[in-house]
Amino acid sequence: MSETPPASQGSATRWVSPFCLLLCDTLSVRADAATGGLELVEGQCEAARRALTRFKAAPSAATPQVHGVSSSLDEALGAAARILAASRQPLIGGLGTDVAGARAVHRLARETGAICDPAGGAALMHTLRTLQDRGGYGTTLAEVRNRADLIVCLGGMPSGDAAELLARCGVGEAGTQQRHLVLLGGAPADQASLAALAGRAGLSTEAVALQGDLFGTVAILSALVAGRPVTRAAPELAKLAERLLAARYGVLVGQSALLPAHGNLVVEMTHRIVATLNQRTRAAALWLGGGNGAGTVNEVFTWLGGLPVRTRLGAVGSEHDPLCFEANRLLADAAVDCLVWISSFDPDCAPPATPLPLIVLGHPELASSAMRQGSVFVPVSTPGIGSAGHLFRADGGAVLPLVPLHDDKLPTLPEVLGGLVQRVQGLRAKASP
Amino acid sequence: MSTMRIAGGLVIDPTQPADTVRDLCVQDGRIVSLAAQAPADVEIDATGCVVMAGGIDLHTHIGGGKVNLARMLLPESRRIEPDCLGCVPGTVDTGHRYAQMGYTAAFEPAMVASNARHAHMEMGDTPILDHGAYVMLGNDEFFLQLLSEGGAAGSNFELIRDYMGWTINAARAMGVKVVNPAGISAFKFNQRKLDVDERHVHWQVTPRQVVHTLARALKELGVPHPLHIHGSNLGVAGNIESTLETIRSLEGLPAHLTHVQFHAYGTEGPKKFSSAALALAEAVNANPNISIDVGQIIFGQTVTASGDTMRQHAQAAFGSPRKFVGSDIECEAGCGVVPFRYREQSYVNALQWVIGLELFLLVRDPWRVVLTTDHPNGGPFTSYPHLIRLLMDRSFREEQLAKLHPEVAANCALRSITRELSLSEIAVMTRAAPARLLGLADRGHLGVGGAADIAIYREQADREAMFQAPEYVFKDGTMVARAGIIVAAPVGGTHFVEPDFDRGVEKTLRAHLARHGSVDFDRVAIGRDELCSCCNGGRLLPAACFKA
Repeated sequence: MSETPPASQGSATRWVSPFCLLLCDTLSVRADAATGGLELVEGQCEAARRALTRFKAAPSAATPQVHGVSSSLDEALGAAARILAASRQPLIGGLGTDVAGARAVHRLARETGAICDPAGGAALMHTLRTLQDRGGYGTTLAEVRNRADLIVCLGGMPSGDAAELLARCGVGEAGTQQRHLVLLGGAPADQASLAALAGRAGLSTEAVALQGDLFGTVAILSALVAGRPVTRAAPELAKLAERLLAARYGVLVGQSALLPAHGNLVVEMTHRIVATLNQRTRAAALWLGGGNGAGTVNEVFTWLGGLPVRTRLGAVGSEHDPLCFEANRLLADAAVDCLVWISSFDPDCAPPATPLPLIVLGHPELASSAMRQGSVFVPVSTPGIGSAGHLFRADGGAVLPLVPLHDDKLPTLPEVLGGLVQRVQGLRAKASP
Repeated sequence: MSTMRIAGGLVIDPTQPADTVRDLCVQDGRIVSLAAQAPADVEIDATGCVVMAGGIDLHTHIGGGKVNLARMLLPESRRIEPDCLGCVPGTVDTGHRYAQMGYTAAFEPAMVASNARHAHMEMGDTPILDHGAYVMLGNDEFFLQLLSEGGAAGSNFELIRDYMGWTINAARAMGVKVVNPAGISAFKFNQRKLDVDERHVHWQVTPRQVVHTLARALKELGVPHPLHIHGSNLGVAGNIESTLETIRSLEGLPAHLTHVQFHAYGTEGPKKFSSAALALAEAVNANPNISIDVGQIIFGQTVTASGDTMRQHAQAAFGSPRKFVGSDIECEAGCGVVPFRYREQSYVNALQWVIGLELFLLVRDPWRVVLTTDHPNGGPFTSYPHLIRLLMDRSFREEQLAKLHPEVAANCALRSITRELSLSEIAVMTRAAPARLLGLADRGHLGVGGAADIAIYREQADREAMFQAPEYVFKDGTMVARAGIIVAAPVGGTHFVEPDFDRGVEKTLRAHLARHGSVDFDRVAIGRDELCSCCNGGRLLPAACFKA
């Protein structure tokens, strides 16, 4: 529960954005008295500005649905409980929620023996699998802001839900130390946003082209940094390796959602570069990912059960498999027999197409994704809009409280799941007296 | 108003004049005095049992970023360990396993201020146990800057003290820990070693100044738990010198030196690595301001998770399996996680094992020694019953000693130490002393008015079996475990302190964060209601500070 009171219409609320990987926390939002529209009036965060257009500061009229027909919450929970009680192997996907929601999802998963995989699980696995194999060395926003004299953006400039990274790290801020920003590879749009930074205080910039693809380029850079002989290395890459070795604190930045398939190899090679540099000077990697609650849910699952997501939780033990327990693969293989889909933040994060019994818990606009026979929909409150909550910042440096902008009158995910678990237990008890 | 009588057990409470066979009565979660003939709602037959207060672990890494990183780093440990919990179990298993052994409270020693919410969340999800945490200071750039700018005269001392008071309140901490004083920060400036009188390459302050300033400020703030010190040069041969210098740097100020086993190494012998347990024990015996916990190592697979990036990075090459995760955190702290397998046939590991036991047995006053393995760094907390047997049973100790690297087994001083700890001494080291060192007036004892956190052990000659699974465990009067089976799992409470300080420091801190931080100043402090929601709705247990 946040102690900051919700905004009254017309006045601005100091707010933390749940829609940005960096949890931009110096923003103010005002609700339009006439339309209920939410508008960013202070601070800059494009991801927040965009997401706010999908909410209104007015009590939600959304109702639960069973088979696409409007129902009471009780009826919807009853129908959802019947699906879960009959299921031999449920899948819980999406996982768009905050800490309290993740605690409740974990309880449901333990109760039903479900496998859990977040939307964007593939991107999360790029960094998680690398961590499990080798480890890595990371850093956080304040360290980058105060220490980094060299920042290398891998494969593109931070964008989308990480677009504020450079601003948050004080890049180009007056009065900061001199630093060099390198874009390694990237599309024309990335080149343009790099060019837009030219001339900022204390900042020099440089675009370095890939030599082949990103995998090959990072491998060559790794060899160069380690002083291994490389035939025909591009001179720009050789210069970049020298820069990294000469930097006091170099930071290699990547956005895991933008990595190609097998992106974990890029992550691993980057960590190898960092490990080599740390023998002589200081360096760190900063991977931005786990948005839409996925990173937070992964943290909560890991502490509660000892294992991260892509785990099957059960009464007789848990099983973690970052490859086999991928939601789409499980659905395609008919290895699961029902789908629970959770998306409290993003109305566009709809469940994958499936003929299986379907339970959708999320943003009111997701009602349209559960219109068919065998589906249940329950609208839930969005933490940081209609209720309080907590999220992890993508760098792992902070957990921040989410401030509600108004009371949306929707039940929170923990409330819904609490009722659901109770009903599932009830049905199970009846089935095996 | 339900009452309970635990009848006929040997009540071992080191705060009472004598251990006697007597009845112990409980009402509404508290120890009370009932007339011998008064009826009780519940009667527990404790004949043939030993009754102790619930155990308190004052140094165990159970919650926060690096513990969770350790879990993520080692999913395989849950497959190779016989009980499938791994060396860093999840919070639910952690709470259950502690309670099964008769422990009712545990304290996370290394909370990063910027990430305090995360630590509290994990602890709140650790069922049954009450909990608290020490916030890490002494490597944060703001502190080091103030100390540096204050110069030798210490002209910024009041500001530093108020900043510490503010941080303790904001993070809802129970105490303050310093890890490798100034060394974590120094590593960020590419310094690889920092002795007690060596200067931080950027701020030009020394660990001696850092330790003394923090200890003095904490005393002035009236925080009951003295400065919790993870000293310089962890794991380095010859680090006994820095450990003794750290004690001298305190100039009599109270302090708790943690996991001292890792800080008591000499350079003698053919491998230039030797036990300095005697030198450290003598220093502890001679300095009543010092308390310690040992950080005993236990052979087998574990993982070390520490804020000490400087030392963890240096030791990553010795990791098994060979992987390492580290991080620099928010210009405040760091973390480094290295898996380790301690082996009996390794000269170094065998000596570490010996040093830990020597320290337990050579320090005379049990009130200043707390039983820990620095979970999971020396070994998992689940090995406490084994450790207790090693301390209480000399013949068992010698059996184990015989399995070690032959040079260690043949030459160590431990061979000639005959001391066997008594049940009463174990009760001091695992309950009464940690409660006293933390300022928990109503815990760690069984006097009237105390909390009814009680463990009832069946008396057995095999102390490991005895302490493995008590007959009964009660938390605030509620039965939570019966013969090793969890029967209830209430949410534990959160211990913290709220020292007074001058709020004038906020203006300086706000400006500092705006210029150097990454979080809005107004988001940093955790309010009481928010703490409650982070901690899963558990009770808030503010501990009283000493009057200035």
